[in-house]
Amino acid sequence: MDTVETTTPRPHQENAAPRPVGESVTRLDAHEKVTGEALFADDLQFGPNMLYARIKRSPHPHARILKIDASQALALPGVKTVVTGQSTPGFIGLYLKDRHIFCTDRARFVGDPVAGVAAVTEEIAERALDLIHVEYEVLPPVLDPEDGVRPDAELLHPELDSYEVANFIFPQPGTNIPNLFKIRKGDVDKALSEAAAVVHHSFRVPHVQHVPIEPHVAIAKVDERGRVTLWGSSQSPFAQRNLIASALGISQADLEVVAPYVGGGFGCKAGVSMEALAVAIAMQVRGRPVKLRLTREEEFYTTFVRQGLVAHFTMACDAEGNLTAMDNKFYWDGGAYAEYGVNMTRGAGYSSSGPYDVPNVRTDSFCVYTNHPVGGPMRGFGQPEMQCGLEQCINRLALEIGMDPMEFRRRNCVKEGSNLVTGMKMHATGIGECIEKAAEAIGWGHKDPPSAPHKRRGKGIAAMWKAPAMSPNAGSSAWIEMSEDGKCTLGLGGQEIGQGTFTVMAQMAAATLGIPYDWVRIASPVDTKYSPYEWQTVASRLTWSMGNAVVAAAKDARRQILELVARSWEETPEDLDIVNGNVISAKSGRSSSLKGLVVYGLAKPGDQGWIGGPILGRGSFMPTYVTGLDPETGQGERAVVHYTTGAQAVEVEVDLETGRVQVLRGASAFDMGKAINPDLVNVQMEGGLVQGISTALFESLQLQDGVVRNPSFVDYRIATSADAPRDMQSIIVEVPQDDGPFGARGVGEHSMVPTMPAIANAIHDALGIHPGAPPFTAEKVYLAMVDAGLVK
Amino acid sequence: MAHHKISVTVNGSVESVDVPSNMTLLTMLREKLGLTGTKNGCTAGECGACTVFLDGEPVNSCLVLAVECDGAEVRTVESLARNGQLDPIQQSVIDHNAVQCGFCTPGVLISARALLDRNPDPSEEEIRDALVGNLCRCTGYVRILDAVKDAARVGAAAGNGGSR
Amino acid sequence: MREAHPGLPDFDYVRPASLEEASRFLAENPQTARPFMGGTDTFVRLRDGFWKETRYLVDVKNLDGRAEITFDPQNGLTVGAAVSMNQVVADPRIRSHYPLLAQAAHRVASYQLRTRATLVGNLCNASPAGDTLGACLLFGGILRVHGVEGYRDQPLGSFFQGPGRTALKPGDIVTSIRFPLPVPGSVGHYEKLGRNVLSDLAIVGVTVLGHPDSSAASGYRFHLALASVGPVPVVLSDLLTQAPLTPEALDEAAERAMEGCHPIDDVRGSARYRKLMVRNLSRRALALVWEGLQSGHRCE
Repeated sequence: MDTVETTTPRPHQENAAPRPVGESVTRLDAHEKVTGEALFADDLQFGPNMLYARIKRSPHPHARILKIDASQALALPGVKTVVTGQSTPGFIGLYLKDRHIFCTDRARFVGDPVAGVAAVTEEIAERALDLIHVEYEVLPPVLDPEDGVRPDAELLHPELDSYEVANFIFPQPGTNIPNLFKIRKGDVDKALSEAAAVVHHSFRVPHVQHVPIEPHVAIAKVDERGRVTLWGSSQSPFAQRNLIASALGISQADLEVVAPYVGGGFGCKAGVSMEALAVAIAMQVRGRPVKLRLTREEEFYTTFVRQGLVAHFTMACDAEGNLTAMDNKFYWDGGAYAEYGVNMTRGAGYSSSGPYDVPNVRTDSFCVYTNHPVGGPMRGFGQPEMQCGLEQCINRLALEIGMDPMEFRRRNCVKEGSNLVTGMKMHATGIGECIEKAAEAIGWGHKDPPSAPHKRRGKGIAAMWKAPAMSPNAGSSAWIEMSEDGKCTLGLGGQEIGQGTFTVMAQMAAATLGIPYDWVRIASPVDTKYSPYEWQTVASRLTWSMGNAVVAAAKDARRQILELVARSWEETPEDLDIVNGNVISAKSGRSSSLKGLVVYGLAKPGDQGWIGGPILGRGSFMPTYVTGLDPETGQGERAVVHYTTGAQAVEVEVDLETGRVQVLRGASAFDMGKAINPDLVNVQMEGGLVQGISTALFESLQLQDGVVRNPSFVDYRIATSADAPRDMQSIIVEVPQDDGPFGARGVGEHSMVPTMPAIANAIHDALGIHPGAPPFTAEKVYLAMVDAGLVK
Repeated sequence: MAHHKISVTVNGSVESVDVPSNMTLLTMLREKLGLTGTKNGCTAGECGACTVFLDGEPVNSCLVLAVECDGAEVRTVESLARNGQLDPIQQSVIDHNAVQCGFCTPGVLISARALLDRNPDPSEEEIRDALVGNLCRCTGYVRILDAVKDAARVGAAAGNGGSR
Repeated sequence: MREAHPGLPDFDYVRPASLEEASRFLAENPQTARPFMGGTDTFVRLRDGFWKETRYLVDVKNLDGRAEITFDPQNGLTVGAAVSMNQVVADPRIRSHYPLLAQAAHRVASYQLRTRATLVGNLCNASPAGDTLGACLLFGGILRVHGVEGYRDQPLGSFFQGPGRTALKPGDIVTSIRFPLPVPGSVGHYEKLGRNVLSDLAIVGVTVLGHPDSSAASGYRFHLALASVGPVPVVLSDLLTQAPLTPEALDEAAERAMEGCHPIDDVRGSARYRKLMVRNLSRRALALVWEGLQSGHRCE
């Protein structure tokens, strides 16, 4: 049975992309990954001189650090150094500098790094932790974001107004609110009063974690001059270079970050989480590499987690089912430090209408400090959390007005020219087609009988949108150099985290340059000393942004080659082309292989010298048109670069005897403009759907008094091979991106955004009850059925 | 802590290794023998990234002591390809795009190879059951199931069970 | 808060040459020496910081004849202490005469864990969530124990004393478990509820064994064991012996099972849900076994 459906390009489509763009070529990293040759950070060898680090962490969610006595630890044979916040007084952070590398005067979450040890073995370093004695004064913790915003709440960051902050983030001094993003569009109260139907619901979304199969690992070495090399599993080598150098007061040019393959990121390896700890420790043992690796338990709560959210929605429509108003209040459980999390608050805010045309919107999106693990970027960046409730509310409103939920979405979804929630005009998008096709793929409108008398079936749909959330001037760059036999090496700064970016970049370079796909090599591992700048591997931005830079670099190399050959052949470059690695002239019919000339140039006739030289192509891309938004209204000319839209529809079956929800089938439809490699797009959709199912049905960090009670695979369950639905359809919709390479925009995150609400809506369709907060575990669903009188 | 001199055959090669009592097979492979293909995802027998063959059967090498392997035969992902020729299960994983970040892949390949060695024509249910101890966060699993089914077909056509 | 170490703590690995040597060493070092077989429970606990006083890990799996399964039609089944779960799942004699045992063993964790985990080791670990404890109890398992005073028999019924606590004393090593022949016509079923479809611990586990019994008014006798609802497995014997066997009688037996257990709230599930699942899953398991008894098929 086919599990995959792709749309073929429409025959009349202009500029059908040159091969191998649009082809499902084999991943160029697949071979080394199946042989075990592919190197990840913990596989790198550093010799017998290497030390191991372990971190002493706060056991309290909130405490002042009174005294640290490391003398016993330092006396343990094999221990080389102990580092505390005294050595790291500088602030660090991406959008808001609100944390130190090691805690200085206080700890703000269970797991906050208080001290670090380097020793000759990992065991000795671990033993040394027990010999570091820390005196704490326990302070009252803030454990809920709605408590954190109360006027009498304990202040977790009294110095908030002194923190360096990006100009699009709005901290509220004297509070626990490091960002408040507002939307004031139209007249919400008037629209609510005139509405034919109004629904109001609140949703609570728990913290979850990314659970990359490869835990975080970083190795740092500082030479005698103080120059740093940092190796690590990283989505953001350049951002790490920048942030760590700034925090330590050294030049970015003196901090080199080397980033091999990443064994899963999903956002937790973006920005800086634990890497700076390794550098700070290595500074005290010059000349020796220091390796810090997290245990799986630490992975669950000491780096980044996805923020929890308390969301209150009010939505209204008119009698015809047109959305007229939305009134939203979001309280984000930002955790102890919001240096990254502040931007999720904003991203949710400027997307808070959902992918719908709504003339009147009021949103208050509060990022709130709590004494919980640090909220950071996770696949979807605020959208899964927010749209979990938003899309369930849309469903309720549709049913309230008596309209089919799919029809309601199709009617109200944004179109080209729509006036968006921030006042931006929507670009061309295929969301309507996505909604229709996802629904059709699971047989929307038909109900199949359940597989057994004690089961119930239901279908649910959710639409979504998401823009790359980043600095307005996040840039990409690329270089291309050629080897003697005509093949090329592509230099880039974006990371292969499994999404296939190395492969699609090679495809785009090959297509633009005119050489076969397997002639392209990637200059990996990414190394900030040699690789060109890339802002971060996040936001589903690489295909679009880095792709533009790669295409520009390939065009530059191509131009140099054609100009050289044209000079040699006394023709014009416009008559020349490169096809399959050969320069050919449409005018004269001449042809020449690229071999040799791309390095050595071409000889002049009669051995009278040479022309040309080593071909080196370069390109860069940075969006220049994103504008600021008014801090009071959230309105502005251009809030984001673009939106990728889509929808997911699922069919579930609920076991009335246990409450277990099984996803029988799912269909994902997304508009990514142009699928550079269609099957790689399909596997993003499949993988995202399963990660979405996993978070919907199984996952939550069970926080109690600031402590994560289930930081291990035993009690933090994720989907296994037995939980994945066999029937997963992936539908590609292509409405070109005006400034994307070959019309492409990103899709990596999007496939896990609509999953939770699609499943919630399907459960409601099956049972007539709402399943409450995710995860929709068997227990939760069963007890909800009992409480509703459906079962005993 | 006691140390032990052990002799263990790894990927066909007899190795003499000096190991402390508390060293796991996983650590011995990665840090004493430089075989970094096998990965550590949890050190608790839950994720399966450390799966290797021990005397012909797949085990979580993070839960086996190196010293317990004295006289035993260990095979890792590095043993699957022979003279540049990929094992059918490796080729099938490539062909089905059943690898993304690649971190779970070595463990998956061992579990899959073990399944096909003992059951050359497994049903989908049997494949899911055999792989349930290998967690993957990227692929959504279905491509892996398809890859195993396909490798079974290839193995049957070639007339061998693949086991060595 | 659990603080797991990156690796295993320090200890000396000890491999005694004989059972006598092993029992003696363990008895002489009651606080600091710990026996282990597959290691799948032991290493996890050590890494999590339990049993900090352990200085010696004593490998007892390679002692005489302990990786063997023997069966004879007169005396029944003997499973050596080092027999792995996978061996139990695959053995044709077990599949033929004690299929419930194979079924329960198959539900343990994952294939690679089952290569190392042993049936006996799992019993000695005495986790109330153990998948195979119920089947072993209902088949009337008897442990063969070697201690400093020689061999003795330990029936499973009085073996479990609490989570992780058994009747074993320092120096005791279980060498095998034996099961008498099941009553002819026995049918069994293990119903496991995990959070995932497979591979999880039992949040609730229900093992049922039923057989024809002419001395019972109903003509049948059922026994039931519950996992994860108390500090030790909960056994309910001699169910459904009154006439007649009807759906209502099954309902009532399931209610009795629910009332007979006192689960707790923990990070895996609430007491309220567990009790309701004991009722529902007992109902399911009893019905399946009854169906099997009527049709003469030994269900899985």
